[in-house]
Formats: sequence, structure tokens, C-alpha cells
Amino acid sequence: MATSLVRQTKLLSIVTSQLSSAACFRNIHCTAACLKNRAARIRVAKGDKPVTYEQAYHPHHIGHRKGWLSQHTSNLQGEDGAAERVVEDVFIRRFMYGTFHGCLADEIVIKRRGNLLVICAVMIQKLLPSKFYFLIGYTEELLSHFYKCPVKIEMQTVEEKVVYKYL
Amino acid sequence: MASSCSQALRHHVCKSSRILRVHLQKAWPNRSFVLNPAADQQPAVSSPEEIVIPKKKTWSKEAVLQALASTVNRDPTASDYRFQDDPYLTPKTSSEFKLFSLSQESGRNAAKYFISTYPKYFQKDYAQPHIPCLMPETLEAQLEEVSEAALIERIQMRKVKAAVDLYDQLQQAGTPVSLDVTNQLLDLICFYGDCDPAQENVPEQRNEETVGQENKLSHNKRSPCLVFSFRENNNAERVFALLSEPNTHSYSALIRGMVKYGAYSKAFSTYTDLLNNQLKADVSTFNALITAAPEVKEKYNEKWELIVDLLKQMAEQKVKPNLLTLNAVLKALRRCGTVGKSQAFPVISEMRALSIDPSLASYNHLLSIFYKPGHKGQTDILQEVMNEVSGKSFTPQDPDDAQFFITAVRICLDTKDIEQAYRVHELLGVGENWRLLGNDFQQNIYHARFFSLLCMMENIDVVLKWYRDLVPSVYYPSSNVMRDLLQALDTDNRLDLIPQIWKDLKQLGHGNRQTLVEELLTLMAREKQNQEVQETFAECALDIKKMYDTGDRGKVMMSWTAGSLSDLVSVLLAAQRRQDAWEILKLFKTHNRVPSEELLDKFLTCIKESGDVNQALELVQISAGFCLPGTPKLIQRVQQEFLLSEQQK
Repeated sequence: MATSLVRQTKLLSIVTSQLSSAACFRNIHCTAACLKNRAARIRVAKGDKPVTYEQAYHPHHIGHRKGWLSQHTSNLQGEDGAAERVVEDVFIRRFMYGTFHGCLADEIVIKRRGNLLVICAVMIQKLLPSKFYFLIGYTEELLSHFYKCPVKIEMQTVEEKVVYKYL
Repeated sequence: MASSCSQALRHHVCKSSRILRVHLQKAWPNRSFVLNPAADQQPAVSSPEEIVIPKKKTWSKEAVLQALASTVNRDPTASDYRFQDDPYLTPKTSSEFKLFSLSQESGRNAAKYFISTYPKYFQKDYAQPHIPCLMPETLEAQLEEVSEAALIERIQMRKVKAAVDLYDQLQQAGTPVSLDVTNQLLDLICFYGDCDPAQENVPEQRNEETVGQENKLSHNKRSPCLVFSFRENNNAERVFALLSEPNTHSYSALIRGMVKYGAYSKAFSTYTDLLNNQLKADVSTFNALITAAPEVKEKYNEKWELIVDLLKQMAEQKVKPNLLTLNAVLKALRRCGTVGKSQAFPVISEMRALSIDPSLASYNHLLSIFYKPGHKGQTDILQEVMNEVSGKSFTPQDPDDAQFFITAVRICLDTKDIEQAYRVHELLGVGENWRLLGNDFQQNIYHARFFSLLCMMENIDVVLKWYRDLVPSVYYPSSNVMRDLLQALDTDNRLDLIPQIWKDLKQLGHGNRQTLVEELLTLMAREKQNQEVQETFAECALDIKKMYDTGDRGKVMMSWTAGSLSDLVSVLLAAQRRQDAWEILKLFKTHNRVPSEELLDKFLTCIKESGDVNQALELVQISAGFCLPGTPKLIQRVQQEFLLSEQQK
């Protein structure tokens, strides 16, 4: 058993020495690749794919032609908690996507005012209003208890998804 | 130099016109103060008064917000704050209002169920300072062993049956339970009437649905045991009997429980036991006994004597009465007929002397004593009460406070007193009084009565102003109230507003109520209006016809009557819509209704104007088909007024 271990360490040292030798400059890739030139962009296709305003404009248009989907103050100088806000936002988006399944017309906008968390959503008129209110009451209560802060939903409905262009 | 310059200027200015002076002053704003140099100014008269520096005001942290909030009034175009601000999601009828608010509430209850079933996912506490209401509730008792602490825990969680079982176990095991804990247990049993309160979710929904029937049994509202009667061997008496030395608190709990659940004579016998044991009763016991007094005696005098007796005993035992005592006495006096009327005011003045101020509930009982429904009395009590009450802000101190506004507006409706109604409505706007209007059902009653009174008494402009203010943001009127509104329109001769009211009726969900629709048609058909109004009437009439035809699933179908059909035809004829009227005439046959003679006469006159001979003949044939007695006259008229060919004769 000791001999096999010794053999393994010898192998590893050979491999690393080979890798760091002048002949090859490829190193072990330890982090995930962030493809910054492919994120949040819908590529131009045949012309039959409907796309909303939010989806049509790429991330470099944020601040110019698009607004922000998540509004909080933790990115200001001297404020902390940015990472926690991001995690909360991701959870809330997935939660809303699953709870109001098939009804979301566009991305959710999350605003934080003091202690209050406001979730602004545009929905398609797929469900009866009473069912919408059931889900609104459920979401508000559950998220309030989960994040220990008052959560309010401001909802707007449209008849069908608003298409900006076809890509 | 400056002063001489200004002197010259002043001469110039005085000589020239005022406009020039203003112009100069405007042109040289930075020298305006030079125009009045110190030399020219009158020496200031030194006032002998002292300058009083006011005390520094301290404002609360929310003062700015409150000042801003006072500038904003209710938005009459918005729906209730509970609902989302979207046309698809705003309720348009009162049933939708109830449905949406209930579904939102049930969503909350579903979330609460998940939170209490899986509390471990909700334990992480982000909030600083700690918010206790957002932490999961523990619904199961933690302590399992048979001990006093476990009993206390079950009492606090309001688990009546579990607490009683544990108490029995403790007794069997021989452990002595202290008097305080036993008193708490007695309180629990007597308050909940020996059965468990249902989970939080259920009573709220039941309250919404059954609050109409439960209104009368107001003190039993929260209990699901509506017809609970103090059975012979119930737990309260059993636990009480097991007490070796019951004290005032135990007797009090038992008596109040008995009175709450209708065992009045038992309550009085328990009270005599208390006196025999040389114990003193406390205020709430006396309040309960006074409430029970009208139930145990028959005649008005006897009831009043019993109450007076109880009050005297209260004075003997040196127990100070409180507001609830006053309200209990007044409520009992409601059942005492004429004695009540004579004794009510002395009671109030005596209580005032003891510095107990009447609350809205006392005024409510007072009004009910003097204004019995169905009686025609001449009293100014309402005015005096309103004088007392106007401008004051009340806090809820008694459960009956919520009845005041409804009673007051009912009295205004019965006595047709519009000024007092305005004062009552004004009182609602003062301070916190809006909280005392009650739940949705009671608010609906209040607004219905207020609006009916307005329709009866005020002219149409005022009525419409209130209509636009209240409907539909605060109040969804029922079909009776809408009929009152139609009558008000009729009285003031504003029938041209009928098409708008019809649109509102459709939106409120009253578009398929037969009586209302027929009344609408009759009003439109009664007189001939001018041309544009007639056009709008015709559009409205055709719309109404659509309501008769389309029958959605679940909607109540209306059936045509002869009257409604003839009204419809007359409206269309008056607007010169002969083709539509002709089709409606055919409907008579399909729905087995008989048209009247005047209708056919009118139709003939209309046809004559167009000169269509064939239609005239068809009309005659129709009337012959119905075997109307007026057919020969019609035939005569047709022969006289039309040029007929040989064939047609």
C-alpha cells in the first residue's frame, strides 16, 4: 500500500513538472468560465422568434435603453450586503417563476425601500383574478416569513406577452 | 451722492404715473432699498410690550409624514387598498369584492400552514430588531410530562380539551394544582365554552360568510359552539367543584361563563353561593349579572328592580362601576320598555358624576331605547346625541361600539332627517372613528342606508355627486338602492342619464335582474324626449335586448313580458328605428305574448309616415293572428289612410 502511494505521488510530480515545463503553457483550469460575451443575449435567428423589449436589448444597453431589474443600495460606497441581495434576488425570481407558472410576461423587477421588498411583476391574464389573489397572498406571506421583512407584490396584467420584435 | 440721486428719483417717481414707478423699481431691483433711505423713514415707535419667545416645539419623528398624509384624501377612482391596481384585478361587483379578498386571505392561510408545518426553514433571523410576528409559530405543546408547567403551557396555547385532560391527570396523580393556575383554567373553559377554538383560519372565513346570522348572537361570534348550552356535568362546574377554596376570581369566571352561554338562572344561584361564602364579587361579575338580569325576570318593573338591587349591592361591596357597567345597564334597559325611557338619562348622569364617560356603545343603546323600529315617536334624542358626539374621536372600548353608526343612520332613514345623516357621516371622518364602522358587511349596510336617504331627500345633483364619490370605490349598491336612484332621477326629470346608469348597472352585475330592467324600460318609454336623448335611449334599449338574449352559463335568464316588449318597441319607434321595432314585434309571437292595441296603433302611425303599404298589411295580419278586438278598427284605418291596390283589399 505504501508503494502504490509512493508511485502515485511520483506520477503526479511528473505530470506537474511536464505541465509547467516550457514546452506547454496550458494550466489546470480551476474556475468556471464566465462567457461575458454570450450572457443575456438572444442571437439573431430565422425571424420567427418573438422577443420582448427586455430580451431584445443586450446588457451593455443597461442604463441607456434599459432600466435595472433589481434596485437596492448595497452597491453604493460604504454599503455592504451586495452578495446577499443577489442571492435573495435569484431565489425570489425562481420562486415567482415557479409559483406563477406560465403567467409571467416579462422579468420581475425587485425594489427595496428601507425594510420593504417590492416585487413588481407583469402577468398574462391566464388565470382568474381570484386565483391570482390566492397566489399573491401566498407569496407575500411566505416570502415575508422567509426574509423577515414585509414583502409586497405590485402586479399588472396584460392580455398577452408584449412582443418587441422577432429575431 | 446716493441720497441726492434718490431724492431726485423720488420727485421723478412721484410726478410720473404708477406704472412708471413700478417699472423703475423693477428695473433697478438692487437699488430698491436705496429708494427708501434711512433719513426718509419714520422713526419706529418703540413698543412697550415685551417680546415673548415661544416655547420650542418638539415634533415627533413622523410629523412630516403625518402632515403630508393629511393633504391626501381618498381617491374615489381607486378600489380598496387590499387589491392590485389593475383593471383586470379590481373587483366590480360586491360578490367579486368578497371573492377576491377571501381568496387572498386563503392564500395567506396556505402559506401559514406551510410555515407552521416546516418551521425549521424559517428560523434564520435576519431582522434587527427582531420581528416576532414573522417567526414561525409553535402549534404543538412542547412539554409532555404531567406537571403544572405543562398545564400552563396548554392554557396559553388555548387548547381547552388538552388542558382539561391534563388537569384530570394531575388530580388523579395527586399533585396539588395551585389556585392561580386553576383559575386560569376556569377562565379558559368559561371563555371558550368547553370546546376547542378552531384553528385561526377557519373562524375568519366563517365570520365572513355567516356574520349575517351571527350578528344577533354577537357575543358568540368567535365560538363555533353557537348552540352550546351549559350541560349538567360540564367541565367548568366540575373543575369548580374540585376547588377546595374558590375565591372571587373563580366565582367570577364561572358566572361570566354561565351568562355568556345562556345559563342565566344558574348564574344567579352561583352568585348567591358567593354571597353565602362571604366573598366579594368584582366589577366584571356584576357586569355579567346585569346583562343577565332582563333574561330572568318577565315584567319591566321587576327587571329594573333587579338591576337597581345589583347596583346597590355593588355600592355596598365598594366595587367601583366602569364603562362596561354603564353599557350593560343601558343594554338591559333596551329590554325594559317604557321604564327604559324614563331611567336612561338618570343612569347616564349618575355615571358621569362618577367620571365614567359614555362611549359610542352607550349612545347606541340610548338611541335604540328611544327609537324602536316601527314606532312613530317625536324625539330629538338623535340631535342631542350628535351634539354630544360631533368632533370627537373615539377609541374602541366596547364590542357594541361598532353598532352606533348603523343604528344612527337607520334612525335618520326612518325619520327622514338628512342633516343628522350628514353629521353622522362627518363623524366618520374625525380621527380614528373610521375603525368603528365595523366589518365589510356592516359597512355595506351603512352605505346602503345613507345612499337611500340621499336619493329620497336630496336633489339629483347632490345625489350624483355622492354617487360618483362612493360608487364603486367604497360601496357596491344592491338592486334596491339602484331602484331608489332611478326614482330620484325620475323625480327630478333627469331621465337622460338613464343610459349611463344602465352601463353602471351592467358593470355592477345587476344587468339581469328582471324587475330593475323592466322598470328601466318603462321609464324610457313613458314620455317622448328630444331627438339626441331618444337616440341614446334606442341604443340602450337594444343593449338591454341583448341582455335578454344571451344566456351565459350560470347567469339568471330573464323572460320577456308583454309590458317590457311593448316598452322596447315604443322606445325604438320614438327614435324612428322601424326595422328594429319590426323585428321586436315578431318576438311577440315567438315568446307567446300579446301586444296591446295602442302599440299597434302607434306602429301604424309610424308606418304611415314611411308609406310602406306591405308592412301595413302585415301589421293587420299580425293583429288578426292575435285575435285582437281592435283588428277591425285597424283594418278601417289602413283602408282609409293607405292607397291599396285591388289585390291588397
